[in-house]
Amino acid sequence: MRKEVPMLITFVVAIIVMLSSITTGPLPDVFKNHISPWMTIVSAFAVGLASVNLTRVHGQKISRKRDGWVYSLILLGSMFFYGIFRSYIEINPSNMAAAENYALCYNHILSPLSSGIWACLAFYVASSSYRAFRARSMEATILLVSAVVVMLGAAPIGAQIWSKFPAVQRWLMNVPNMTGQRGIIIGAAIGSFVTALRVLLGIERGHLGGTQ
Amino acid sequence: MNWINKLQTIDRRIIYILLLVVCAIPLVKPLGVPLQVTDMTRDVYDIIEGLEPEKDVVLLSFDYAPGAGLDAHIVPVAVVEHLAQRGIKWVSVSFNPEGPMMADLIIKDLESRGFKYGIDFANLGYLAGQETAIRLFALDCLTITTDTRGNKTTDLPVMQGIKTAKDFAFVHQFTSDDPAMWIRQAVDPMGLRYAVGIVTVSVPSAMPYYNSGQIKGLLGGLKAAAEYETLLGKPGRAVAMMDAQSMAHLLIIGFIFLGNLGYFLGKKQGK
Repeated sequence: MRKEVPMLITFVVAIIVMLSSITTGPLPDVFKNHISPWMTIVSAFAVGLASVNLTRVHGQKISRKRDGWVYSLILLGSMFFYGIFRSYIEINPSNMAAAENYALCYNHILSPLSSGIWACLAFYVASSSYRAFRARSMEATILLVSAVVVMLGAAPIGAQIWSKFPAVQRWLMNVPNMTGQRGIIIGAAIGSFVTALRVLLGIERGHLGGTQ
Repeated sequence: MNWINKLQTIDRRIIYILLLVVCAIPLVKPLGVPLQVTDMTRDVYDIIEGLEPEKDVVLLSFDYAPGAGLDAHIVPVAVVEHLAQRGIKWVSVSFNPEGPMMADLIIKDLESRGFKYGIDFANLGYLAGQETAIRLFALDCLTITTDTRGNKTTDLPVMQGIKTAKDFAFVHQFTSDDPAMWIRQAVDPMGLRYAVGIVTVSVPSAMPYYNSGQIKGLLGGLKAAAEYETLLGKPGRAVAMMDAQSMAHLLIIGFIFLGNLGYFLGKKQGK
């Protein structure tokens, strides 16, 4: 029963979702009014569950003072601080000062830190491009030339050096890139469909926590 | 170590410092390198130009976090500026928990310029569930009962007459992720007019959807924002940053050239 009931629920829900997209009867309403809100609730619940797990794992790390326990403390401290702060704002929506301060913490701590990490990537990309792009073989040379053309075509300076750079860059993006991307998208879609069909028919049972 | 070997093993700290310098100079003193506007950017501009200020409402989906950096955030800044210039009303929603805060950054600026929250725009906040949430919201926009300021969604003047995503004249998503979720769940099934603003690195993966017509306009990161500012006739931060990007690209290409020069000379010497 532990496997049969979840499999039955999966089958029924999947059939309703699939049919709701291609029929005009009551099923689209069942999807809209019941299944879709349930999925949102389940997703929100998953965030709560993840918070509990995070607290458990990092709480143990802090209590046993394992390596890097300070970072765990900062993580849990930030999580609870923001959780409590946000809850207070949700309960008191008219308190604009609290909302302003919440945004202040966010805009002046998280945003600069996240943007800083992103900006650092530019330096790593510059250094790794210099080290990796060597014309050691025919394939590496094609990659190197393509990369240089795309870089020059994407930046305004490229058109000033040679007016055809943007056109060549567009061709690279529209033809070889598009071909590869379409292949990946279609391949992934077929793979997803097959996996969905396996779950629907009960062949794939990994999500039930057991073996195949 | 001879100079040929040195060409192949330039200290990364030198690369970092030079990159910092070449990026900083154009930001302080823009070079004004002329910018070509691509069709992907012009398409979004034309759609917004074709909207009616009194009648149409635009849906903006803020689906990125600060981690995506300025490359993601500068695009909605340019698009919202266009909407503000034309007096087009808009509503934002997010399927990324940090999206509402990003929308609020833009809203704060608009409010300081006299635009009215609730009348000219509103922020409906975050709806959990990603792909399923997109579907739910598209079918029933009033599933979000309150906005980020605690107002009832049905009471917001900007939301009057809006029930499903089809009631929006145009949907524009800003994301650091894959636009396929919106396309699968709402754009194709409901026939929405949809464009996407995406970080530069994700442009290649979004191109097939643009060429197939599922995405009506595609704004790829900083470059597209700079092109948009040019179309608006208000060159701003993005245009200045494109100069920095040009210089950075040239520097990187220069280092790649030096590395390969060292490699080939070394190979020749070895023979």
